[in-house]
Amino acid sequence: MKSLKNILSKVLEIEEDKINDELTPADVETWDSFNGLILVSELESNFKIKFTMEEVTSVKCVKDIKEVLKRRGVTLNE
Amino acid sequence: MNETEKLIYGGNPKSITEYFSLNKKIEQEKLRGNIKEKKNIKIALLSSFTINGVKEVLNVKCFQSDIVSDFYVAPYNQYLQQIIDKNSQLYKFEADIIIVFIDSKSLLGEYFYFPYRLTDTERKDYIGKLAAELITSIRYLKDNSKSKIVLHNFEVPLYSAMGILESKMAFGFLESVQLLNNKLKDEFRNDAGVFLFDYDTFCSKYGKKNICDPKMYYLADLKLDFSFIAPLCENYLSYIKPLLNMNKKCLVLDLDNVLWDGILGEDGLEGIKLGPTGEGKPFFEFQKLILGLYERGVILAINSHNNYNDVEEVFKNHPYMILKEKHFATLKINWEDKISNMRAIAQEINIGPDSLVFIDDDKLNRELIKDALPEVLVIDLPEDPSLFPETLSEINDFNVLQITQEDAKRGRMYAEQRKRQEFQKFATDITEFLRGLEIVVTIEKVNALNIARIAQLTQRTNQFNMTTRRYLEEDIKKIDKSGNFLIASVKVEDKFGDNGITGAVIVEKEDNKWRIDTFLLSCRVIGRRVEEALLAYIIEEVKKENGKILIGEFIPTKKNIPAKEFYKNNDFTLVKNENGTEIWSYDVSKDYKYPEFIKIVKKNIL
Repeated sequence: MKSLKNILSKVLEIEEDKINDELTPADVETWDSFNGLILVSELESNFKIKFTMEEVTSVKCVKDIKEVLKRRGVTLNE
Repeated sequence: MNETEKLIYGGNPKSITEYFSLNKKIEQEKLRGNIKEKKNIKIALLSSFTINGVKEVLNVKCFQSDIVSDFYVAPYNQYLQQIIDKNSQLYKFEADIIIVFIDSKSLLGEYFYFPYRLTDTERKDYIGKLAAELITSIRYLKDNSKSKIVLHNFEVPLYSAMGILESKMAFGFLESVQLLNNKLKDEFRNDAGVFLFDYDTFCSKYGKKNICDPKMYYLADLKLDFSFIAPLCENYLSYIKPLLNMNKKCLVLDLDNVLWDGILGEDGLEGIKLGPTGEGKPFFEFQKLILGLYERGVILAINSHNNYNDVEEVFKNHPYMILKEKHFATLKINWEDKISNMRAIAQEINIGPDSLVFIDDDKLNRELIKDALPEVLVIDLPEDPSLFPETLSEINDFNVLQITQEDAKRGRMYAEQRKRQEFQKFATDITEFLRGLEIVVTIEKVNALNIARIAQLTQRTNQFNMTTRRYLEEDIKKIDKSGNFLIASVKVEDKFGDNGITGAVIVEKEDNKWRIDTFLLSCRVIGRRVEEALLAYIIEEVKKENGKILIGEFIPTKKNIPAKEFYKNNDFTLVKNENGTEIWSYDVSKDYKYPEFIKIVKKNIL
């Protein structure tokens, strides 16, 4: 299983060490609405979960993604 | 191969992100101008919803099939505006292929939710109107561009408010979408320029419940889940490859553990498993699927390490052996290395290695061929034989855009060719051999039945082709209408079978000087002096209309060396040689005879 950082880095095409909890779409040029959906799709298939529509729209930064994943019982080692 | 190329070709992307990253690498390679020896295609995508991702994935899939693609994607839901405006970007782009993907919901509008607000008759009228409008716009698109058009049909919805009573309705909702699909199919059935892609079946294959992620649909109008973009593009390639003449022609098969379970040399005729029950069943059905391909025109060949006599016994005596010796154009059953066998197969059938598909259960053999003959398509056969039939059914490389009678018979004709060659070995003298063939040549002026084949021959014939001028069916219709041309096809039969239409001529009549514009014969019938019969026919026609001189041209290409000496050997006089292009002339008052051992039939159906 890939890590969250790894997925973010692949989809958004940024270095893993540039990723932190506070990172928002406004900070990353490639984090547009379409890549946001790609991210959803990659996270879902990687962690074998399905997000609700509300979860998708509520995410404002990396930390929010972590929280949603945690609530869904995904253990993150990072 | 450089590192990037290795990454691109070796890459088997598992997710949309991986496709995107490969796509980026390909675009960089393109910018660097690092791309050679590939075919080019311009693809336009028109859709009624968000199809982001399709372009990128299709670009990668094309590139992996040695095609460099260039895209035009119409803005979101602008397909109709783009079609009706002759000055739109769509027309400026001049695509080779236009894919039109409109989804059921967009097309049906409120009808999708409230079909039963309309009466039975109104529903029928409504669907009829939708179909007519769509057909009109597709026709308009076709008339104003030179592109082939691939039109998606419509996904038949899963839900009706009528529930179990849906089947009791006179002209029900689901039925109405089926009717729409049927209307489109009927409309374009005989249209060589428009192909209806059965998107409804595509959805069924992967499950209509899976194909759309509702969340993605509501958030972004994405009607196709990302994971199905790759299979969709694979389907698009089924049209793109034949459009670029990249379709495969011949299926080369290994025997042990491919056509039967077991090793014939060890297990023997009784030991191999093949039949309608048990472990032999997947092999039995696999053979039936292969026979189905043969019957639609795929040439079959064998490349196997075995003793010929053992295999012959299986052909003759195994009760469940579906494929027989007579189905194969060539049988390389020996202990030679598989690469040499493969080369010999291509040579004997007279096609390029790039027309071959190879199926072998042994990974080592597969790698061997991939490495030595990268043009051959090597199928990665799964370990489990129960997956063989499915694997075969997913090969999209045998697709052609048009099937002529000749195509359908091709598999058989090549197998007959082998018999002919075996017969040649016994004949001592070439004329004796040709006489023994009992050749019948039928020459037929252009008509509705042979015109498609004549155009196809100008497109495909490379070797015995004096001028290699390529024509579309429309072009030939046009020059025929002018009334100044003699256009004819040639059919060749002999005692081993019918080769079908395998030659064509186009001759321009200019007062008493006639000019041979096109003179070609398929390589299958070269060496039987059919070309002389054809020339005799032309000379006869020139005389009949009081012409005096017949002009022939030879335009050299990389491939048409077999045709080079033709005019010279037939007593033409060289008039001019300009950069290799030769102009030859023949005074028709000189006697020219049909080869005496060929029976000539002249047909003239209008």
